[in-house]
Amino acid sequence: MSDVKPTVVPAAPSGELWRIVASMTATCAIGAAILGAIYIGTERYAEESRVRGERRAVSELLGLDEGARVLEVRQFLTPARDAVVYQRPAEVGAPGRELVFALDGTMLRDGALAGTPEEADAIREFHSLGRLFIAMREGVPAGFVAEGESRGYKNRIRFFVAMSADWKIAGVRVVEHEEDPGLGAEIATSWFQGQYVGRKLAAVPRLDVTRDPMPEDWRGALRARPGTAAGDWASRFGTLASREAEKPIYAVTGATISSRALTDGVRATILHFRRRWELIGPRLLEPGTREATK
Amino acid sequence: MSQTILLRERPPGARQLLMNGIFGENPVFRLALSLCPAVAVTTTVANGIMLGVAVLLVQVLSSVTVALTRKAIHPRVRIPVYTIIIAVWVSAIDMVLAGFFPSLYAQVGLYVKLIVAFAIIISRLEVFASRMPLIPTFWDGLGMGLGFLFALIVIGVFRELLGSGAILGYAVVPEKPLLFFALPAGGFFSIGLLMAFFNVIERWRNGGKASAGGGGGHGHG
Repeated sequence: MSDVKPTVVPAAPSGELWRIVASMTATCAIGAAILGAIYIGTERYAEESRVRGERRAVSELLGLDEGARVLEVRQFLTPARDAVVYQRPAEVGAPGRELVFALDGTMLRDGALAGTPEEADAIREFHSLGRLFIAMREGVPAGFVAEGESRGYKNRIRFFVAMSADWKIAGVRVVEHEEDPGLGAEIATSWFQGQYVGRKLAAVPRLDVTRDPMPEDWRGALRARPGTAAGDWASRFGTLASREAEKPIYAVTGATISSRALTDGVRATILHFRRRWELIGPRLLEPGTREATK
Repeated sequence: MSQTILLRERPPGARQLLMNGIFGENPVFRLALSLCPAVAVTTTVANGIMLGVAVLLVQVLSSVTVALTRKAIHPRVRIPVYTIIIAVWVSAIDMVLAGFFPSLYAQVGLYVKLIVAFAIIISRLEVFASRMPLIPTFWDGLGMGLGFLFALIVIGVFRELLGSGAILGYAVVPEKPLLFFALPAGGFFSIGLLMAFFNVIERWRNGGKASAGGGGGHGHG
């Protein structure tokens, strides 16, 4: 390659400087204009598809129909870290609701949310604690999905944990992670996440990870589990599932850290949610909400 | 290869440029460029294919853009301008994928953003696109992109088979034969072994003459 000469540029005359500046500025301006136009053109679709994807994940985890009513509750920590805010955003025909609790569980505020831009601005500085999705069927909760975060091998792992109305784990879904493909990324597969399904709330505090190899019959059963509705899976593998329900989660080979990160996150998220629900649940589902479901 | 190509009076033909990108100056096996992402994503064939296709697109679009605008680019700031051109294309592809192909984006989004810093792309802009007319530049970009895609598939097959005992996610052998090859260090070993193999192929193509990696003048990155 040495006989290909690099582009040789003679020393710049002083008057040339402005042309260099102009050239760079023009390039950046054109690039910014193109990207700005594409952003304006695609932002709406990107946001829509993100929301749609989350909605689909929630209804798949809880086994709901696409049209089922799902309440979304956002949780925030105040910048002073002295209170937790729960917001149910306003919808068409129904005002939202805001509950504020001190860290010891005493209620500080219970008010309406009108959905104004000022309210959205006020919450901007707050630290998000993830969202809760509450599926409603005939005015009573049919299941819950809590958003959780955990520190993975490389970066944060964001996931949804679904609980059925009788407080069993209905499913776990990793929605964002940067674990190594082929290793830690296996935690995002349905066979790994299937290990959590069906565990009772009472067993969650003891939920742990083992490096023991996964029994072959259980591995086959997890791989056979269909993605969404359980179908006849329970009748074929129910005894196997109840045998494993009290056992630890089998770590992905070579990715114990990622497996443990998700399991610790799932455990913490469920236990937190259980405690919070006793505070916020009855209030969020008060008559105002029920009328809105009709 | 490229020495002879660039010094010739008439620009080389499409077939020659394509073969140059895939074999003679293969970005990974011959130029040893962009090895870091090549190691990072090739634990499975599917990941390699996705990154390879994304690089192919960005390489062709950036090369063509530079070939069309090369007269207007001030030579003193050409490298920053190339970087901006690559960044614009990468961001545009990223936003379009996120908006219109969410399920595809969920799988490739992570890789697309990495491409801004790919040495192979900017090196082709500097070495080829900035000196050549549109048509040969298009073929050179396509050849380099295909060469990168080809390399990632070969490395991916090698590592997924040995590291995970599978091809494209389908188990070929029941256990993981050599987990080492799925790990980053194993990736460099795989590339080293395959590079030696491609040197043999190149020697055979040149009629028995040994030749150093074609990219000596590019710098390595």
